[in-house]
Amino acid sequence: MRLFEFESKRIFRAEGIPVPRGEVVSSSEEAQRAAMSLGMPVVLKAQVPVGGRGKAGAILTSREPKETARLADKILHMKIGEFEVRKILVEKHLQVASEGFLSITIDDSEGKLVVLASSEGGMEIEEIASKSPEKIVSLKVDPLLEFEQYKARQIAKQVGFRGDLMLKVSNILWLLHQLFLKYDATLAEINPLVITKTGEVLAAGAALTIDDDALYRHGDLALDSEERIQDSIEKEAAKLGIAYLRLDGDIGVIGSGAGLAMATVDMVKEYGGNPANFLDTGGRITRQHLWNCLDIVMRNHAVRAVLVNLYGGINPIVEAAHGIVEFFDERKLQLPAVVKLRGNFEEEAWGILERAGVRVVKATQTEEAARLIVALSRKEFS
Amino acid sequence: MTILADKDTRVIVQGITGRIGAVQTRLMLDYGTKIVAGVTPGKEGQIVERVPVYDTVKDAADRHSTDASIIFVPAPSARDAAFEAIEAGIGLIVIVTERIPIHDALKIGSFGKKMHAIVIGPNTPGIISPGETKIGIMPGNLFKAGHVGVASRSATLSYEIAGNLTEAGIGQSTCVGIGGDRVTGVTLLDVLKLFQEDEQTRAVVVVGEVGRTVEEEVAEYVKAGSFKKPVISFIAGRSAPEGRRLGHAGAIIERGKGTAESKIRALRDAGISVADRPSDVPQIVNQLMR
Repeated sequence: MRLFEFESKRIFRAEGIPVPRGEVVSSSEEAQRAAMSLGMPVVLKAQVPVGGRGKAGAILTSREPKETARLADKILHMKIGEFEVRKILVEKHLQVASEGFLSITIDDSEGKLVVLASSEGGMEIEEIASKSPEKIVSLKVDPLLEFEQYKARQIAKQVGFRGDLMLKVSNILWLLHQLFLKYDATLAEINPLVITKTGEVLAAGAALTIDDDALYRHGDLALDSEERIQDSIEKEAAKLGIAYLRLDGDIGVIGSGAGLAMATVDMVKEYGGNPANFLDTGGRITRQHLWNCLDIVMRNHAVRAVLVNLYGGINPIVEAAHGIVEFFDERKLQLPAVVKLRGNFEEEAWGILERAGVRVVKATQTEEAARLIVALSRKEFS
Repeated sequence: MTILADKDTRVIVQGITGRIGAVQTRLMLDYGTKIVAGVTPGKEGQIVERVPVYDTVKDAADRHSTDASIIFVPAPSARDAAFEAIEAGIGLIVIVTERIPIHDALKIGSFGKKMHAIVIGPNTPGIISPGETKIGIMPGNLFKAGHVGVASRSATLSYEIAGNLTEAGIGQSTCVGIGGDRVTGVTLLDVLKLFQEDEQTRAVVVVGEVGRTVEEEVAEYVKAGSFKKPVISFIAGRSAPEGRRLGHAGAIIERGKGTAESKIRALRDAGISVADRPSDVPQIVNQLMR
């Protein structure tokens, strides 16, 4: 889960990393009041859980309170990517002497943490990497080893900081690493790291992404995951623990497993159909779970046909078959539906579906099911 | 020969008394897997499917010679279980559990490397050497013994590909799911290297999907001429949108990286045949093995 900047900064501050003084507001009046209490000038930053705010013109500087209100009006309800701006972080403007960059992330292929630092900041790391690769220092850290403070000092020094600044930057980097571990982060980034004209070092830009699979360990943060999802069906699916993504077509797709669900979507397209969604049931199918999956798919009113593609490995497909039958009975659905099932206890599952009049594909090939659902949906529409 | 596991591999099941652990133990025994013991803390003395249960992996390993462990314990305890197995000296650890925090997976991977244990997963269907053994959750009826190795990121999609091969009369030496997470123990390339050394394996099918760079690593290795057997691939997610996680934690296209197109290009550039559809795989395998 990618946190909003204000949430990230709240955590950074609590862990000892200096951040600019600021307030979160959701109206132009609040923005003006915040500006007056912070003192001019201030920076207004749109709060959305995606990058690209600067380019979208959603980070603005204001020199007087009335202007702050006007700029806040401009930013509020702006759309950045798929997100509508609902909150603004109003911060005291900093007297910038120079900017840097600190980040910690995960190297998937080596299975290590990666610490990146640069004396250039304020732009995307890719941009720094292409403009001045020599200014980036990187270090891979074994996840079983402590990141000792001397390593942070070495990095800060290598980046070019000296004396008191070196100590301040290395301390921030070390704290960033500590919080990366503490909060199960997949990304902890300070960009820009601002060195002010008075020699202060602050995290002017902060980003923190917490591993979705570790959120259960961080209930105390009280993060609202739904706030980060725009689509109403995706919101419902998230509540039910279903991996669902709305697409723009009319054939609903359910697959048991991510790769299979992706391939099913691909094959529906391959045969000229247009998938309405991606849905992965995961490995925890129950009768109710499959019922829920169908319910999620059918919430999209564009759906005119449904393809269900399941394997019985860890998933009990007999239970899945019951869930499908119950859903179709209850809803009295008339739309074309195809269910392809293979694996453990397949014959029992086929029997349940066939007796209920559900169209079953017994072949291994997803292509066959995809071709059939596309043909059936066309017949239906013509 | 097969890779990683054969009919003589002695297996313990961690989490054997759980709902999934018990069902899967029965299915593995039915397949012929040599399960020597189970482990569930506090349940020592119980018997599940004629398999004795112990409190700790050490207790089980002290009484029974053990080569491998398969882990079904819930995500919050999975790191603990994996470390216990690795420290007990078990050389092959298969972690089926899904949704294990990535920081736990990082630690398991690092500890496994230090102790020279091979870690498969997390979020893996496991390993099957058809006709010999399965240390995993795959439906055995879709597989048959033969000469094609399969390495996959996706569980169910590997069943589909193996099923296609089997129906075309092409058997498999060993099928390995590396797991759907962002960080896994062995990678596709690690599995490929094992197939290199295996005489029974005459061709390898690599089943990939969007996200990560494990397919690109295979492409690079093959392109350098380091792999001598034919490689065939299928990549899922050609219609995947950017920046969204597609079920698997590892299946996400970030900042334009990890798209199906770029993976297919890298693989083809290395001379690897990439099938447009899963059902095209057997025909290509036949052509290349001829």
